[in-house]
Amino acid sequence: MNGSPGGTAIRFQGVTKRFPGYTAVQNISLEAREGSFLSVVGPSGCGKSTLLNMAAGLTQPSEGAVEIFGKPLTGINASAGYMFQQDALLPWKTVRGNILLGPELRGADAGQAEQSAREWIRRTGLEGFADRYPHQLSGGMRKRVAMAQTWIVNPDIVLMDEPFGALDVHTRLRMEGEILALWAGSRKTVMFVTHDLEEAIALSDEVAVLSAGPASRLVGVYQVGLERPRNLIDIKTDPRFVEIYRSIWGDLREEVLKSYERIQA
Amino acid sequence: MSASRRNQVPMAVWQVLLGAVLLLGWEAGAKTGVLQPFFFSRPSDVLARVWKMVAGGGIWEHLAATVAEASLSFLIGVSGGVVFGFLLARNRFLGDLFDPYIRIVNALPRVVLAPIFLLWFGLGIWSKVALGVTVVFFIVFFNTFQGVREVDPVMVNNARMLGASERQLIRHVLIPSALTWIFSSLHISIGFAIIAVVVGEYLGSSRGIGYLISQAEGVFDTTGVFAGMAILAGVVLAVGALVDRLERYLLRWKARDSDAARGGVS
Repeated sequence: MNGSPGGTAIRFQGVTKRFPGYTAVQNISLEAREGSFLSVVGPSGCGKSTLLNMAAGLTQPSEGAVEIFGKPLTGINASAGYMFQQDALLPWKTVRGNILLGPELRGADAGQAEQSAREWIRRTGLEGFADRYPHQLSGGMRKRVAMAQTWIVNPDIVLMDEPFGALDVHTRLRMEGEILALWAGSRKTVMFVTHDLEEAIALSDEVAVLSAGPASRLVGVYQVGLERPRNLIDIKTDPRFVEIYRSIWGDLREEVLKSYERIQA
Repeated sequence: MSASRRNQVPMAVWQVLLGAVLLLGWEAGAKTGVLQPFFFSRPSDVLARVWKMVAGGGIWEHLAATVAEASLSFLIGVSGGVVFGFLLARNRFLGDLFDPYIRIVNALPRVVLAPIFLLWFGLGIWSKVALGVTVVFFIVFFNTFQGVREVDPVMVNNARMLGASERQLIRHVLIPSALTWIFSSLHISIGFAIIAVVVGEYLGSSRGIGYLISQAEGVFDTTGVFAGMAILAGVVLAVGALVDRLERYLLRWKARDSDAARGGVS
């Protein structure tokens, strides 16, 4: 399914999405290189999630096209996994049941699925919790289950929509570290949506900035040349991090101010 | 002080106490002539009558008829309600098409249907079952409809991204999600099923608790009326307890108040 390394995993070509009454995103062209970590930042309500949903095939663009590994996307993107901002676990399934959902839906061999579920329960530190129901877990653990649920089907592309937005700062830092560790060995393409510029820079190879909505445009794409593996605890005081932060924030700041004005108007 | 001591007595004791006080008051009222036994009977008489009906075996035929009618109307009503609820919730066109008619039929007081059903289905059990079905069906239908329509779209999208087909979506997401709503309506619909069939029996039948009550009423036998009511209450309570247990098992994944405090560690 993968093209040659360094090819394009996700390509938005002049994508516009209109909803009844307003335009979410306007004429956006953006690419995620295969195996890279791309973050999309922008003020609240700028259509970041809309962009992600179009890459997932959950929403279709009104104009333009989305290509996945060079092929136009129609319907659900079968090579993508999606970690949602909200809780998406099935509350009536246990941790194991939720992790097994993907393999089960795809008709995987039951024994093999069971084995890989055990492996993922171990990798996400959920041993001893396999028979718990989601409501018995903390927010951080529910995110781990969601992570295992998404990664167990081994998607080539992982889409994440502010997956850690609802977590406290420390849990969030740990989860970010775990995502990077998972991704590092995987050669998967990640598209990560957040409103937190620090998080975006710390995790990504590239940061795409969207303008204030409605009708958001792409302001720019910035390269983050920080080497990997990264130490997420210390990276934010690294002078090069600060420099990248300043240059992106200079552009993002204006958009954030614009969105404030619009809210107050 | 007294408040903390009161907390140590189990609620069940207070509940039994309240019932005892009410019954004794009733009994005393009847003894002293404040309550005319002809109009109000007496708890001791009612109890003796219940015992006579149960021990003498005269009650079983009627109880069996009422329970059979209620069970049938419950089964038919629930199946119909679930199937139609699913269908109309998943199919916008059908949902919108049927919407006004369902409202019209549901606005009708069911009791007025009883004479019609007597004409259509006769004096036997089916006229009572029909009446029960019209009650149960709508309760379950609206809850199923709501449950399917209001399923969390994030859960649906998540399942679709994980590879769910439409059929798998129904099985893994929509049915379990609707089950919560359906279950919350089961208590009500069982109670209403029994009420409906008893009303049906009361209006015209040759068997059943409702028939017993109407016979007793016909000869101003208040003790008989109260005895029928007591037996009916016992049946409803017993069935309710059963549904409780079933619900607790099937919805064991749901957060209960005691769990919420437990939380978890990250």
